[in-house]
Amino acid sequence: MIQIQGIGNQTGPKFWRSLNELANTPKFQQWVAREFPEGATDIINSNSRRNFLQLMAASMGLAGLTSCRRPVEKILPHAKSFEGIVHGNSLHFATAMPLAGSAMGLLVESFEGRPVKIEGNPGHPASRGAANMLAQASVLNLYDPDRAKDVVEGGKKGAWDEVAKAMTQAGSLEGVRVLSGYVNSPTLAGLRAQLLAKAPTAKWVEYEPVSDETILDGSMIAFNDSLRPHYDFKKANVVLALDSDFLQLDNRSLGWIKDFSARRSPAHHEAAPAATPAAGEHGANGHAAGDHAPAAGMNRLYAVESNYSLTGATADHRLRVKPSDVANFVFDLARELGAITGLKVLGQQDKFIKALAKDLSANKGKAIVLAGPRQPAAVHAVVALINQTLGNAGETVTYTKEDRRSMASLVELVKDLNSGAAKSVLILGGNPVYDAPADLAFGDALKKVANSVYLGAESNETAAACKCSLPESHFLEAWGDATHLDGSASIVQPLIEPLFGTKSAIEVVGLLVNGKWQSGHDLVKGQWKLADAAWKKALHDGLIAGNAAAAAKATGDKTRVEAAVNAHPKAKGGMEVSFFPSANLFDGRFANNAWLQETPEPMTKIVWDNVALMSPKTAKEMGVAEVVDNVGMYGKKVAIEIDGRKVEAPVLVMPGHADGAVSLTLGYGRTAIGRVGKGIGYNAYAVRGLGSMGFASGATVKKLDGTQYLVTTQEHHNQEGRPIVKENTEAGYAKNQHFATHDEEHVELFSLFDGFDYSKGSQWGMAVDLNACIGCNACMVACQSENNVPVVGKEQVAKGRDMHWIRLDRYFTGAEEDPQVVYQPMACQQCENAPCESVCPVAATIHSPEGLNDMAYNRCVGTRYCANNCPYKVRRFNYLNFHKDLEEITKMVHNPDVSVRMRGVMEKCTYCVQRIQEAKIKAKAEGRAKGEAGPYKVGEILTACQQTCPADAITFGDINDPNSKVAKLKKDHRNYTLLHELNVKPRTTYLAKLRNPNPELA
Amino acid sequence: MAQLFPKKIDLMIRGVGLAVAIGAGVTAGGMLLLHHPKKIEPGYQPTQPIAYSHKLHAGNLGMDCMYCHNTVDKSSYAAIPSSQTCMNCHSKVKAQSVVLEPLRKSYEANEPVPWVKIHRLPDYAFFNHSAHVNSGVSCVTCHGRVDQMIEVKQVQPLTMAWCLECHRNPAAHIRPAEFVTKLDWKPERDPAEIGREIIVKKKINPPVNCSGCHR
Repeated sequence: MIQIQGIGNQTGPKFWRSLNELANTPKFQQWVAREFPEGATDIINSNSRRNFLQLMAASMGLAGLTSCRRPVEKILPHAKSFEGIVHGNSLHFATAMPLAGSAMGLLVESFEGRPVKIEGNPGHPASRGAANMLAQASVLNLYDPDRAKDVVEGGKKGAWDEVAKAMTQAGSLEGVRVLSGYVNSPTLAGLRAQLLAKAPTAKWVEYEPVSDETILDGSMIAFNDSLRPHYDFKKANVVLALDSDFLQLDNRSLGWIKDFSARRSPAHHEAAPAATPAAGEHGANGHAAGDHAPAAGMNRLYAVESNYSLTGATADHRLRVKPSDVANFVFDLARELGAITGLKVLGQQDKFIKALAKDLSANKGKAIVLAGPRQPAAVHAVVALINQTLGNAGETVTYTKEDRRSMASLVELVKDLNSGAAKSVLILGGNPVYDAPADLAFGDALKKVANSVYLGAESNETAAACKCSLPESHFLEAWGDATHLDGSASIVQPLIEPLFGTKSAIEVVGLLVNGKWQSGHDLVKGQWKLADAAWKKALHDGLIAGNAAAAAKATGDKTRVEAAVNAHPKAKGGMEVSFFPSANLFDGRFANNAWLQETPEPMTKIVWDNVALMSPKTAKEMGVAEVVDNVGMYGKKVAIEIDGRKVEAPVLVMPGHADGAVSLTLGYGRTAIGRVGKGIGYNAYAVRGLGSMGFASGATVKKLDGTQYLVTTQEHHNQEGRPIVKENTEAGYAKNQHFATHDEEHVELFSLFDGFDYSKGSQWGMAVDLNACIGCNACMVACQSENNVPVVGKEQVAKGRDMHWIRLDRYFTGAEEDPQVVYQPMACQQCENAPCESVCPVAATIHSPEGLNDMAYNRCVGTRYCANNCPYKVRRFNYLNFHKDLEEITKMVHNPDVSVRMRGVMEKCTYCVQRIQEAKIKAKAEGRAKGEAGPYKVGEILTACQQTCPADAITFGDINDPNSKVAKLKKDHRNYTLLHELNVKPRTTYLAKLRNPNPELA
Repeated sequence: MAQLFPKKIDLMIRGVGLAVAIGAGVTAGGMLLLHHPKKIEPGYQPTQPIAYSHKLHAGNLGMDCMYCHNTVDKSSYAAIPSSQTCMNCHSKVKAQSVVLEPLRKSYEANEPVPWVKIHRLPDYAFFNHSAHVNSGVSCVTCHGRVDQMIEVKQVQPLTMAWCLECHRNPAAHIRPAEFVTKLDWKPERDPAEIGREIIVKKKINPPVNCSGCHR
C-alpha cells in the first residue's frame, strides 16, 4: 500500500473518518486499500461460471430473436382534452405534508398526473423552499407496492360499503374511543368537535411517539400557560442547545437551518483585503473582541449533549454530558446567570459554564437558549427563565399559545380498554401497538375491545391487532388541511386520485359525523368557507393568508421554577439510555421507504440498521467495541434492560458520546411491515416506558455473545490523509485569509493535454460552503429522486456498490473521546482536465462545451477505468440491474427526463443536466435576450441538491458570468479546490469551514 | 503406441475453424447490412386503428399540422390529438361514417384510440420538438411529405449519425418560423443562405455533445 503524505496535514489538524482509520490496524489497511471490498466483483450466486454460460447461451439466442421484428408501440392520447395540460411538460402544485402535529409546505412536480419530485414551498414558513429527507422521500411511499390497499375484516377482504354500514348504524358511537396523532388539521378538529357533541360518551385521544410536549409542560411551570417558544436565529449571536438537535430532528428545523446557516459566514466576508503578511495583521486588528458582534457577524453555537448530533457537529463548543446531567448543567448555568438561586452542583464544568454565561450576558437580547424534547419539564422551565433574564424573550425568543396534549389521556385510554369502558376504538393512523410506551401494554389492551378499527397507510402491527383495518390515502392523493406550529395553515391538495380506493381520516370521521360519505374536498371546503378567488389563491400559494398565531405575553415566575428545580429528582445512577427519533425513519412510519433506509444515518453513516451508540471508553470497558475484519464490520450485541424490559442491540462506538450512557434510535425493528423494512434493526420502543420517554437512568447493559454485521459507508473511498477538508477558526481566518489555498500557491502545475476553450458561453460551476453545510442528507435524497438513482440494499452497500451520486463525507478531528466533526458533500467535481475521460476506451464520458463532464450511458461498456482513475471516487457502477425487480407501480416514481440506467453502465452526477437543457430550450423558445443571468432567469437553473438544501450551502451557476453568485463565491478567500495538485481543475470548489470558538475556552 | 488420430486431422481442424470463422463473419456482416437502421427503419408503415389520411387533411384540405399536433412548439412531444379534437369537425362532418366508428366509440367511452407509434427513438435519446420547431426546423425534415401520405410511413432513418449531420450543418434545414409547417415551402433563394441568416439572428447553436440529447 502506498502511503501518500498529506500536504496540508503536516501543520493542520488530522482528519479521520472512523475509529478504525485512527487506529490504522493492518486489517483495516487491507480493507480500505482495496478499491472495493473483497468479493465486490463476484456475481452474487456461488456457482457463477455455470450461470454465466447459461446466460450467455440464452442471450445469444434471444439476440437473434429480438432483432427480427420491431416491437409495436402504441400511443394512447386522451379521449378528451384537459385544460392546462401540455403533454411532456411538468406541472407544479402546492400542498403540505402533515407530520406529527406540524405541516411542511411543499411544491410537488407532476408529470402527466404522476407526482414525481417533491420540493419545498418557498412561501411556506416551515420549508422556505427546502425539503428534508422525509418530505422528499414521501413520494416513494405513495408508490409503495406494500401499501395497505384493501379493507380487511377479521383477516378477510372486506368492502368500504359494509364498513360504512356498520359504522353508521344506531349505537355505533356508544363509548367509542378515537386515537389519532396530534390533530393539526382544522377540518379534522371541526369534525372532532361535532363527533364529541353527537356522542357524549365518546372520547378522543391524541398520541405521538415523538413529541415535544415536555416543552409545553415546562412553559406551564414557568408561565402558568401553555406556550410554545419560537426562535429567530437571524438575530442570535450566541446559541446554546441543550440536548437539542434543533438542526435535524425538529419539525421546524428547515427554517431554523436557513437562518442559522446564514449567520455562519464570517463578518469580513467581502471587505477582506488582498492577503499579504501585512494584511494578516490588519485582519487581526479588525477582528478585536466584540468588534464583529453585530448582525452580520458569525454566530457561536454551544451544544451540551450526550449523543453526537448534527447540532453538536455544527457547534463551536460541544460539551458531552450524560442525559441526566443536562438538567444539572442548565440549573448551574441559571444560577451563574442569576436566573435562579441555589448552590452549583457541577464542579468540573465550572470553567465552561462561566465562559458561556459571560458570552450569553455579553449578548443580551441576541442569544437563544433552547433545550430538546428529551429533557424534562423543569429544564424547559429554567430555559424559559434564562431567556427572560437575558432579555432574549420578545427579541430572539417569542411565544405562541398552543393546546397541550398529555400522555395522561393515553394512559386513561388503556385503562378504559382494559376495564371495558371503551366499547369500540377507532385508530386514525400512527402505530400505537408498535410505538406506545412499553409498560402500557397497548397491544394487549386493544385485544380486549369488541370493535377495533384501524385506518392506516400500511398493514402494520396495529392493523394486525385490530379487528378491522382500513387503507388510508397518502397525503398526495387526498384532500386535507394542516397547520404548522406557528399557526399558519395550508390546504393539503392531492395530485392524484387514490391509487387503491383508499380513504382519508377526515372522510372516515366525516362518515361517523354525517352518517354518509362526503368527499374530502367538500369537507375541507366546508371547513374554510373561502370565496372562490381566496380558495384558488390558497391552493396556489400553499398557504392560507392570515393564520399565523399572534405572539403571546410570557412572564416567568421564578418561585415556581425554583420549586420545580428543587423537586427535580436525582438520576438513579447506573447506565443512562436515551431515545432518539431516527433521522431516516422518524418514529418508524418511514420504515418501508427504501430511499431512507439506504441513506446513511447522518452521524454514524450506518445503512439499513440501527445501533446502540456508546462512547469509546464505555465500550472498551465493557469489551463491546465493534470488530473489523477484511470483509466488514461487526457490532457486538448487548442486552439493554430498563425496569425489567429488555432489548438486544448491536453496539457501535460513537466518538464524542458521553461516557456511561447509551443512545438508541427509535423507528426500527418493525415486525408487521412491507418487504423493505421487515427485520431491519431492533425495536427500541420495547424498553421505552412512560417514565422514560426521553431517557432513562438506572439501566443495565450486559454484553452478549453474538455479533451483527453492520454496514457503513464512512470507510468507502478513503482519501488517505490528503487535505480534503480545510478548517480554521474565524480568528485564524482573519489572520490568514488565504489559509485554504496556502498549499496551492507554491505548486507549479502543467497539463500534458491541450486545454479546452472555456471562455465563451455559459460555463457551469458549483461552490459548496462547508461552513453552511450541516450534513443533513437532504441533498442525497433529492438527487436520488431527481436522477432515478437505484436502491441496492444492505449487501450491495457492504460491497461498496452504493449508487448515490452525492454523498456526505463525515470527518472527525481531534481526540477520539471528544472530537469535532466536519461534513463535506461530495459529487462529481466536473473536472476541466477530467482524468476519467482520458482513460475511457469508448469515449462514453466526454466534455461538453459548457464544461460538463457528460456521461453517455448508451455508449458505456463498463470497463470501470473511469472510476479507477477518478481521484474523488464519485463514479458509480451498475453492477447489477438494480431497476429490474421494481414493481410497475414503483416505476411511476421515475423522473421521465432522466434515463433509467441498466446493468454494466457507469453513472455519476451530471449537475442535473436535464434541468439545464430544459431551461435552455425554454429560453430559446421564448427568444430571451441576455439578462442578469445570461439568457436565463435568476434561479431558473437549480440543481436538485441546491434547490432542497436548507442551509443554502450549494451554489450552482455560470462561472463565466461575473455577476453570478457562484462566480462571486469562487473569488472568496475561503474558496479552495480539492486535490489542487492533481491539476484536474474541478468545476466544483469548496469554501473552507470556519468555527467561531470562544477565546476563553480555547 | 499407434497414433489415435491421423496426421491430416490437423488440416481438418484448421479447415473447420476457418469455415466457422467465415460463417460467423458472413452472418455478422449480413446482419449488419440487413439490420442497419438505415435499411430497416425507413419505410415502416404500420396499419392504424382508424384509416386516417394525412393526405386528405393536411394536403387536400390544407389543415395546418399544428391544428392537431398543437404542443409541438411548447413541449418535447408533438401531441397526438385527443379524440375530442377530431370530433370538433366529425361531430358534423361524416358524422355517420363507418370508418369513424372507432373514433366515436373512443369519444363516448372516454377510451383512447390506440394509434401505432411510427417514429421511435431509443429511451436514452431525449428529443425535444419545441427546440427544433422554434429554431425553424420544419416537420418535413424528419417526417417527410406527410401531406402526401395516405398512410404515414417513416422516411428518414432517425439514427444518431443522421441527427448529427444536421446538427453539424444546420443551415440548409432552417427556415423562417412561419413556414415550419408549410411542407411544400419553396424558397426564392438558396435555402442554406436563408438558414445561415436565421442562425446568426437567433444564435442557433445545435449541440453536438452527449448531454445535448442523452441525460
